[in-house]
Amino acid sequence: MSGHVKNMCPQLTISQAARTLLSLLLVAAIDSVSAGVVCRKQPCGSSLQRSLKLTKLIHKESVDLLKTYKLSQGDMSELFCQMSINNVPDPNISGLDPSERMLSIYSHCKAFLPHLKRVTEQQTDLQPPSSSLLSKLSTAHNRTNGLANQINCIYQTLFPNLPIPPEPVDGPTSVPPSQNVFQQKVYGCVVLKRFKEFLSRVTRELRTLKSQVCTRRTTFADTNALF
Amino acid sequence: MISMLCLMLFVPRVFSSSTQVAVIFPQDPALWMGSSLTATCTVSPERGLHANTMYWTLNGKRLPSSTYGLLSTNGLSVTLHRLNGSQQQSGDNLVCHSRDGHVLAGSCLYVGMPPEKPVNLTCWSRNTKDLSCKWTPGGRGETFIKTKYTLKYKLRWYGRERECEDYSTGKRYTCYIPKDLALFTPYEIWVEASNQLGTATSDVITLDILDVVTTDPPDNVHVSRVGELEDQLTVRWGSPPALKDFLFQAKYQIRYRLEDSTEWKLVDDVGNQTSCRLAGLREGTVYFVQVRCNPVGIYGSRKAGIWSDWSHPTAASTPHSEPLQSGSCDPKSGEQNSTLRRELKQFFGWVRKHACGCSGMSIKLYDQWRVWLQKSHKTRNHVGIHMEQKKN
Repeated sequence: MSGHVKNMCPQLTISQAARTLLSLLLVAAIDSVSAGVVCRKQPCGSSLQRSLKLTKLIHKESVDLLKTYKLSQGDMSELFCQMSINNVPDPNISGLDPSERMLSIYSHCKAFLPHLKRVTEQQTDLQPPSSSLLSKLSTAHNRTNGLANQINCIYQTLFPNLPIPPEPVDGPTSVPPSQNVFQQKVYGCVVLKRFKEFLSRVTRELRTLKSQVCTRRTTFADTNALF
Repeated sequence: MISMLCLMLFVPRVFSSSTQVAVIFPQDPALWMGSSLTATCTVSPERGLHANTMYWTLNGKRLPSSTYGLLSTNGLSVTLHRLNGSQQQSGDNLVCHSRDGHVLAGSCLYVGMPPEKPVNLTCWSRNTKDLSCKWTPGGRGETFIKTKYTLKYKLRWYGRERECEDYSTGKRYTCYIPKDLALFTPYEIWVEASNQLGTATSDVITLDILDVVTTDPPDNVHVSRVGELEDQLTVRWGSPPALKDFLFQAKYQIRYRLEDSTEWKLVDDVGNQTSCRLAGLREGTVYFVQVRCNPVGIYGSRKAGIWSDWSHPTAASTPHSEPLQSGSCDPKSGEQNSTLRRELKQFFGWVRKHACGCSGMSIKLYDQWRVWLQKSHKTRNHVGIHMEQKKN
């Protein structure tokens, strides 16, 4: 058996570039699992395109979500959304280079999740069980979580040497303590208004990122050369 | 100390949000319909707002200044009389504004009535395994305040009070107890309704699980011709398997109707047989037939239970009295032939599409086609109605 292998092997030579590629692949594979999310390698353009489509969907739904929310709170709720509240994530994406901006998108997605959850809990007590608001809030939460995971994977793939910090970079995610009903109405409106604005910004940002970081023949060698 | 001051000066947004601009009292009150309320809005002195520049709105509508009361330089009250029921379940928005319309504070009012005693509490058990109960809100139904219903039960002579937990069966005012129910001993069951203004309890009903048993509809319902008898059909069915170990005597009912009719004819005296012959029918006509079961005498009891749902409709047709003459020159029979030919063509088309060829050809297959034809006629009519409503 070993003789058989001996006959096969002398014909094989592994080039230096291929060895480097193999090493990079191994490192990337380890990294992609270590973040807690298992990411499969996908072409840059199609990954970002998928995230862009998902973002557009969530944004479209967030417009209807905010409208449904306002209708459920009674008259005068338009003014509520304009009040200022601390600790609700702002809709702006920060950062100078693509990696920072992508990280900001990811962090913001994660930051909105506990607020969406809190609004859902509060509205569960305030609305009749059949209210469509509750299912729309739940959908928004699930889709945003999915988007965060997608961005996480793309970030790990494009920037394998830049770890994702465990805490969001853009501010606290703590939800406010117990509030009276009026405060809950205001809080929910502010969260959903900013959420809608954030998604609008993410849509624009992903388009820009796609053109910046995904070229036609992006390979790992090219990606590595960015740094 | 100085650095703290600087922090406070340069982060006004944090400072202004960490202390309340104004406070309304009472906060989120529950009130009886027709009652009065006096609410106060007190602004933080640091805001520099004078109370006589503030105003109130209720559900977006500005309240007249004649209802206001100036309490102090930074406190304004409003008195509302004969309150109407809340417009939404999340409460009416009573808001205190500054002169330029900014919201200073808000309070949500819950105006309604305490619940009335729930009524029409009825329960049934499926095959003695579980218990489902339903009730109706008392009086004119739920008022504008969210009302919680709790179904409670206990064994009559011993045992502790328990609460039903599963209210999610899809229908409102129902609850489902899935297991751990005792037999041969009565339960006391009641419903408590509560909201922020009060509580009410239904009358207590007492029942033994075995007295309120229902079961599944009979399965394997077959309807067939009785030879060439043109006015009769035989109906056969199976007894519900879930109760086969309980030694009960079921009784059955059959109902049947003409294919094109909505009126059912009921056969009530079937007893505990599992077959029945229908007579006096019209020849050459398709009939739809259903059967249902009432479990009687479970575990030796002589009491009747609760009728099951009707089985799925089964179709059959009675024979024609005279066979069609083929090759007849009579114009009338010719018309019959062309109608028959058209019908056969439709039937064969359906068989090719739905019944995997003609290998299982039988009169039963023909009956199934007639059932399908009627259902698709109904669907087309419904679509037509829906389209008309949309146009309107």
